[in-house]
Amino acid sequence: MDQILNVLVMGLLLGGVYGLVSVGLNLIFGTVRIVNFAQGELVMFGMYGSYYAYTYLGLSPYLSVFVVAPAVGLLGVLIQRLVIQPLHNESNMQIFATFGLLMMFQNIMLAFTRGEARSVGGDFGASVIEIGDLKIGTVRLLTFLITTLITIGLHIFLTRTMTGKSVRAVTQDKRAARTMGINVERTFLLTFGIGAALAGLAGVMLTPIYSITPGVGGNFILAAFAVVVLGGLGSVWGAYLGGLIVGVVEAFAGYYIDPALRHAIWFLIFLVVLIIRPAGLLGQVGAEEVGFREQN
Amino acid sequence: MSKTDHQSGADVRPPEVGSDVSGLQSPATAFWRYLGLMVLAALPLVFLAKDPYWLNIIAFTYLMGGLAAAWNIIGGFGGQFSLGHGVFFGIGAYATAFFTTRYGLSPWLIMVPAAVVAALVAMLISWPTFRLRGPFFAIATMAFNEVAFVLANHFDTFTGGPRGIMIPFKAGFANMIFRERWQYAVLMFVFVAVVIGISVWLRRSRLGYYLLAVREDEDAARASGINVLGVKLKGMALSAFLTAIGGTLFTMYLRFIDPPTLFTLQDVGVKFALLSLIGGVGTIAGPLLGAALVVPFENFLRAELADALPGMNLAILGLLMVLAALFMKRGVVGAIEDLVRKFKSKKGGP
Repeated sequence: MDQILNVLVMGLLLGGVYGLVSVGLNLIFGTVRIVNFAQGELVMFGMYGSYYAYTYLGLSPYLSVFVVAPAVGLLGVLIQRLVIQPLHNESNMQIFATFGLLMMFQNIMLAFTRGEARSVGGDFGASVIEIGDLKIGTVRLLTFLITTLITIGLHIFLTRTMTGKSVRAVTQDKRAARTMGINVERTFLLTFGIGAALAGLAGVMLTPIYSITPGVGGNFILAAFAVVVLGGLGSVWGAYLGGLIVGVVEAFAGYYIDPALRHAIWFLIFLVVLIIRPAGLLGQVGAEEVGFREQN
Repeated sequence: MSKTDHQSGADVRPPEVGSDVSGLQSPATAFWRYLGLMVLAALPLVFLAKDPYWLNIIAFTYLMGGLAAAWNIIGGFGGQFSLGHGVFFGIGAYATAFFTTRYGLSPWLIMVPAAVVAALVAMLISWPTFRLRGPFFAIATMAFNEVAFVLANHFDTFTGGPRGIMIPFKAGFANMIFRERWQYAVLMFVFVAVVIGISVWLRRSRLGYYLLAVREDEDAARASGINVLGVKLKGMALSAFLTAIGGTLFTMYLRFIDPPTLFTLQDVGVKFALLSLIGGVGTIAGPLLGAALVVPFENFLRAELADALPGMNLAILGLLMVLAALFMKRGVVGAIEDLVRKFKSKKGGP
């Protein structure tokens, strides 16, 4: 029983990590309707940013996040303006372009760091809270809390503020939003920027947990896609819930079957969702098809 | 008013990718064009037959050209952007490596059954994924590729796991292992010639037209009575079949395979698509042209940069991909077609 509880908690905390990585991807995915393959690399940039801030400036990740996340967000705005926007309505070319960005970012970092793995030496990373037999990593718990806070914050932003409402309007119908006087292109820039900043933030938060390599984004991107598909396209809470489910399933599969097969578990989740409910748990039914039909 | 507003209403799409500008060709024209292309493609092999360094690049260019042309059947004609062709490539490769090393079978005997298995697997995994459109389809196929990677690492009795499989050098035609590099190059040339030959035939066949119809507008295709799912499945099966044969040839050429060489996305699944894109998606000559440009360039970059700056060659390839997506959507073939059209209209006058 204790074991099951331990695995469950482990899974939930892992789910927090996945949720954090997915929420930005899902925002971009749902609104700009771009599959950003380079999202994992934005996470990687966030990790390196906080690593360099820590090594050279002595800044704790929880401080440097205020610089790193906006910087990555700015990069996101540039990507949207220079690469994605010229390719609007050409989903195949967008796949190519963002995959090209993935290769570019990953390998530039590889050339720059010469492939050595880095990590932020953790006085902090190793600390553990014990409740009875339960062992909870402090950093992971913190990550989980931050994920929850961000999800709530994003929800409030999208439902209560005018800017957030305009993002949702554009998500639902680009043309109608335009006739209501919403600047669609600017909304896209904003959304992509926020999504990228969230990826950068996720990267910073993950530096104490994961060792940093140029290819680290690849560890997250497929899980993030699984989360997004499971949770529902463009749904904020879907990304949160999907992250938790994927995390828990992965933890149980890793514990009871074989840790090496966890990727296969993501895939299984993927496949089941795609067959039974392609819109995802909290997504709008039909969004997965209509969402990518050409809209003018 | 935003920048893109003026495009909203009017249909200002560029001519569809790979559309046959010159209209229908007679079978004879198509055949002669195909023959001309193949003769052109064979020229480097004839002129550089003595140079082992170039022969290696040439053989690899033919192989990648053939694989890209196989991808182009479903990705270009059918418009289904699969990033998971590594799965079929891997099936061909592993079946070949397993049965030659374990049972001493000839690769020639394994090739076709392995390709049939790959085609069946392709239909099986495509059946659920084909309900997805555009980017969703690409992600799902990418997931398949990653799963294949994991499974290949895990089930080491069949795949040798991370250690891979080494095929001992026993030269001979029956073993598909040759002493001379030019023999491999000829083998790869035959492969690309066959795949492109099939593309030429397909492009003029009923299935080919159905695939184009599905690519251009799935709903309209369905409304015209085309069995969309069936057409996609047939295209995918054919594409996977040819890809698996490429996997067999690849294995016998390198004589060593392991999961990273078969399933690394940017070297395999995405590479096929990349070559087609650079050459011209949905065209006959595009994939081979793309391979002829990218493979030697990549070799050059690797030789020049890999020591000084590891990964820089791939970074440049990534940049190339972004630029191609932005500025050369119809690839080299498209650019040439545009030039020809401009030239013709100038000559004829408006």
